[in-house]
Amino acid sequence: MSLLETRALSKHFGGLRAVDAVDLALHPGEILGVIGPNGAGKTTLFSLMAGSLPPSDGEVLLEGQRISGQPAHRLVRRGVVRTHQIVRPFPNLSVLENVTVAALHAGGRAEGPPRERAREVLEFVGLGDRTHAVPGALTLAGRKRLELARALATAPRVLLLDEVVAGVNPAEAMTLAALIRAIRDRRHVAVIMIEHVMPAVMSLSDRVVVLDHGKKIAEGTPAEVVKHPQVIEAYLGKGHAGAQA
Amino acid sequence: MSLRWPEIVPPRAALAFAAGVVALAVAPWVLGLSPYSHNLVTLAFLMVSGALAWNWMGGFVGQVSFGHAAMFGLGGFVAARVLLAAPELPAPLAWIAGGLVAGLFALGAHPTLRLRGPYFSIATIGVGEAARLVFTYWEDFTGGSSGLSLPIDSDMKYRLYWWGLGLMALVAAASFLIRRSTLGLQLLAIKADVDAAADVGVSATFYQDLVFCLSGAVVGVSGGLWASYFSFIEPNDMFGFDRSIGFVLMTVIGGVGTVFGPVLGAIVFVLLRQFLLASYPQLYLGLYGLLLIFIILFEPLGLTGLLLRLSRPLRRWADRPAAAPSP
Ligand SMILES: Nc1ncnc2c1ncn2[C@@H]1O[C@H](COP(=O)(O)OP(=O)(O)OP(=O)(O)O)[C@@H](O)[C@H]1O
Ligand SMILES: [Mg+2]
Repeated sequence: MSLLETRALSKHFGGLRAVDAVDLALHPGEILGVIGPNGAGKTTLFSLMAGSLPPSDGEVLLEGQRISGQPAHRLVRRGVVRTHQIVRPFPNLSVLENVTVAALHAGGRAEGPPRERAREVLEFVGLGDRTHAVPGALTLAGRKRLELARALATAPRVLLLDEVVAGVNPAEAMTLAALIRAIRDRRHVAVIMIEHVMPAVMSLSDRVVVLDHGKKIAEGTPAEVVKHPQVIEAYLGKGHAGAQA
Repeated sequence: MSLRWPEIVPPRAALAFAAGVVALAVAPWVLGLSPYSHNLVTLAFLMVSGALAWNWMGGFVGQVSFGHAAMFGLGGFVAARVLLAAPELPAPLAWIAGGLVAGLFALGAHPTLRLRGPYFSIATIGVGEAARLVFTYWEDFTGGSSGLSLPIDSDMKYRLYWWGLGLMALVAAASFLIRRSTLGLQLLAIKADVDAAADVGVSATFYQDLVFCLSGAVVGVSGGLWASYFSFIEPNDMFGFDRSIGFVLMTVIGGVGTVFGPVLGAIVFVLLRQFLLASYPQLYLGLYGLLLIFIILFEPLGLTGLLLRLSRPLRRWADRPAAAPSP
């Protein structure tokens, strides 16, 4: 059985079908990439899966149980957590406190005092020496690590990563990609990642789903997907060449 | 079960706190306070308690309420009614009853206030004013515009100093513990970004309801003590918008969201009010206005922020490398 599944999941904003009848499935231990042009509905899809937005139609299942309609904070406790495309640290809390808040909501999947678990997660993402800094003192890459750490501290089963690699320099992108792989391999978390940085998504993903205008237009291994005619069309003029990397 | 010293309370802070409370408790005898000062300090204790509790909502959760007079008035009238109905009952039980009803009222009213930021603030004005109107018209309960009189008890008024001190000490300790605990972390996360907080598992609705209820209950208890102090209460005053504004002003002047700020702000507020209201009744609101503008523009953390700013050069001076070689 798939770990997380969406069935005909849809979100309409007025007349706009931001997400239009999307079916997808995430298997345990998998990294699933989600790509698509700007405005394709990727972030909205995450909002529906994480409970930040109620769907207009369709449903989300976690291990076969319907979870759509439940608010985000409850889904976190059940093991579904998201990060934000534009990082959203709590600026009034220290790095350690930011992660501790999240560690309080592991829903019984983790043992030990929240603060200690927060420290462990910060070590894991490479922020072990910045625990007392305020988020504002971190670089963008640092804040992306913090965003990751906060999500990881909830001991998720499904991690939804919204453009974690984008926007940092190539060296940082490499280490963030390695970190995502480690999350799957060492922490045994299944990951869905939205990513514009093609080398990252293509090398990390076991499978890739392509969205365009809210619809799923293709699905398959990275190699299959880039050859798909509709995908080429959707990306035409958008630096499709980069997708071959 | 073994009792352990809670990690979040530094022993030095606990000692300083205890010393402060003891000093205040013996001050009337040691300093030989005049009845005037004795009473002024009693009122200050009640105001500090109210401001500290308001700050849980306004400062920690970041939801600025302009309607706390509703809980203050309700607590006062319930306590007064209890004392009138059962004069032999110990007054603290009546105050607690007032606090409980006020807390329940807050809990009941809060679902209509599940809004964020300015929308919440505006809605609290509505709830506060509605409460004032309803309780002014509900003469059977509040005595309407002629109010309620309690039997005058000057001994009680004298002893209220220590009751007020006790309430303030409890609320101050609670503020400190909340701020230092994981509860406080979650409140500050809600304040910073309610959606991001939900995305790491924090239920904003739950904590906002909880804190509004607790904050309302404490303000209700202080309303009960207030009723005992004055032996006469009147709905337009107890539920007055001025009073709601007072909680906001005290906390903002002192330093919103800090533990110490509301204490400082309430003291300054009570003193200013006492002196200005007597000598320059027209000036006094204007002065608060100026103070507020100054704070909002230059020092969002109010007097606490100012003190921190002043202490920094001092500390630097104190820590200056004299004999010790600096790294
Ligand atoms: N709250 C909202 N109200 C109205 N329209 C919205 C809302 N959120 C998103 N949209 C619209 O839905 C569409 C999909 O947006 P979404 O943010 O999901 O795209 P995306 O694939 O994440 O894009 P990007 O790659 O730029 O991040 C866009 O047209 C967007 O303008
Ligand atoms: Mg997006």
